[in-house]
Amino acid sequence: MLTIILGILEEGLLYSIMTLGVYITYKILDFPDLSVDGTFPLGGAVTVVLISRGMNPLLTLLFAFFVGAMAGIITGIIHVKFKVRDLLSGIIVMTGLYSVNLRIAGRSNIPIFSYETIFENKFIDKYIPEKLVPYIGLIIIIIIVLIVKALLDRYLETKSGYLLRAAGDNEVLVTSLAKDKGLVKIIGLAIANALVALAGAIYSQKQGFFEISNGTGTVVIGLASVIIGTKAFQNIGFIKTTSAVILGSIIYKACVAIAISLGLPASDLRLITSTLFLIILIVSQDRMRRVKDA
Amino acid sequence: MKKTIYLVLTSVLLMSVLIGCNKKEKITTIGIAQFADHGSLDNCREGFIQGLKDNGYVENDNLKIIYDNAQEDGVIGNQIITNFISKKVDLIAAIATPMAQSAYGGTKNKNIPVVYTAVTDPVLAELANPDKTSVGNVTGTSDILPVTEQLAMIRAILPNAKKIGIMYTTSESNSLSAIKEYRAAAADYGFEIIESGIATAADIPLATDQILEKVDCLNNLTDNTVVSSLSAILNKANKKSIPVFGSEVEQVKIGCLASIGLDYFDLGKKTGAMAALILKGEKQASEMEFEVIDEYSFYGNSKVAEDLGIILPEDYVKSAKEMFNEVVQ
Repeated sequence: MLTIILGILEEGLLYSIMTLGVYITYKILDFPDLSVDGTFPLGGAVTVVLISRGMNPLLTLLFAFFVGAMAGIITGIIHVKFKVRDLLSGIIVMTGLYSVNLRIAGRSNIPIFSYETIFENKFIDKYIPEKLVPYIGLIIIIIIVLIVKALLDRYLETKSGYLLRAAGDNEVLVTSLAKDKGLVKIIGLAIANALVALAGAIYSQKQGFFEISNGTGTVVIGLASVIIGTKAFQNIGFIKTTSAVILGSIIYKACVAIAISLGLPASDLRLITSTLFLIILIVSQDRMRRVKDA
Repeated sequence: MKKTIYLVLTSVLLMSVLIGCNKKEKITTIGIAQFADHGSLDNCREGFIQGLKDNGYVENDNLKIIYDNAQEDGVIGNQIITNFISKKVDLIAAIATPMAQSAYGGTKNKNIPVVYTAVTDPVLAELANPDKTSVGNVTGTSDILPVTEQLAMIRAILPNAKKIGIMYTTSESNSLSAIKEYRAAAADYGFEIIESGIATAADIPLATDQILEKVDCLNNLTDNTVVSSLSAILNKANKKSIPVFGSEVEQVKIGCLASIGLDYFDLGKKTGAMAALILKGEKQASEMEFEVIDEYSFYGNSKVAEDLGIILPEDYVKSAKEMFNEVVQ
């Protein structure tokens, strides 16, 4: 039981970093960004290649973050400057990134079992007591998530963050403030994809190898988590939306873990995901209608 | 409405806990995680179960098997491994490279041995050291392809052929290492290899049409995506009377002309025997080298040969492990 909860928390929190990225594009910018299916493995490819060349694993996360941001900027430029529709810009970047990722990695599968990662290194071997070892993965992920969340929350309170939120709700406001709404969108996409690539990098380090196919379906997981989180916790005032999104990611992973644990075949999991999706949407609408009627 | 749903979710969670804790004495539990759904890997699994049985571990008697298939989704594969760990299985059997890596990565510090099979290159996958010794609590069997034997066979069947077409998925590392070997050995047999890399199964029809224009025959690897779409490829190749060679028995059964291949059932059986040694406590996975099958057999399909107007060389047919005279759909 403990292992299963530990597994859910690890996976859920790890993916919540990606989910925060999807939250920025989908919820704040109202931009359904499909490029994340490419940026998730992009982060993995970058971190794994750099680690196998001997770079400090923590430092590789920074590189993954920035390379992810660059991918986001490209999606943004395609959309804003070349006026390609949002959905299509994402698809273009996602498709192209598949080849780019293979180029960066050199091949489709790279193991880093024999290298140090943020989860396995001399420091942990030396200073972490034996008893804590099974939890160290979770502890490290919690620390990263807390840092990311704190930075993101602070950013959203800044002027640039306000503009970001305005760009999704009310583009006219951004223009009336004499700000370039296109630039705001590009910044949003950059931050979002940077977070997704960061999550992909941490994921690859956690499982000990990079595998190109692991990006497929990232956007579905992200959207499901964002919707579960924001809908399930929308009426609970003291929970910030970013926290709700993180909780959504954990709930999503818990549902998948429970389904697997009950012996449901993997081929049915997508159906379960979509059903869960639908239930959450219906429940939240149900409640909204009641509020309106009253 | 919302409360009901939470109630359902909570009870589902509770149920899974109860199921997880329900463990009887003296019954060994193993988890088998398979990466994809196709004939070779299925044979591997069945062979594995047989290998355990031959060594005293009989399913539903003293052995409980939890089986799950990731359907080529690595993220799900990871969660399958986490599930096995939470069910406290005594051993994890992982079929195909990504699954083996998930299992090994996931069970570090967990004291659960991993036995893999159908991993083409365990050294490249960092599951074994270059001297074949294990890198941790993990061992298994490799399904490395008999490349030179296959090329010699193609030369014997098609004395005038020059170009061999190989389709592979750019995301499958098994295929990439096999292609490298084919490229290196082809010239020795007077062949040129024409490659066609695809990204997804959806690319196959177009890629097949294009490559068929350029080659004298096609040759399959153990590429999961290509093998899964083999009937579509065979259909197109047959229309142009271009022979397709398989990489193992299942492919010959469904319409490839011939193959020098390994028997995945035997490979699985060998792996099962290794797993039994570990379960009995006679050996640790960490002290076992990975093994390969060094006997390869010829498989031929006389119906396909007849349709193509090709006569299979007699010495090959005589030594065949199995000849098929129909195409199984």
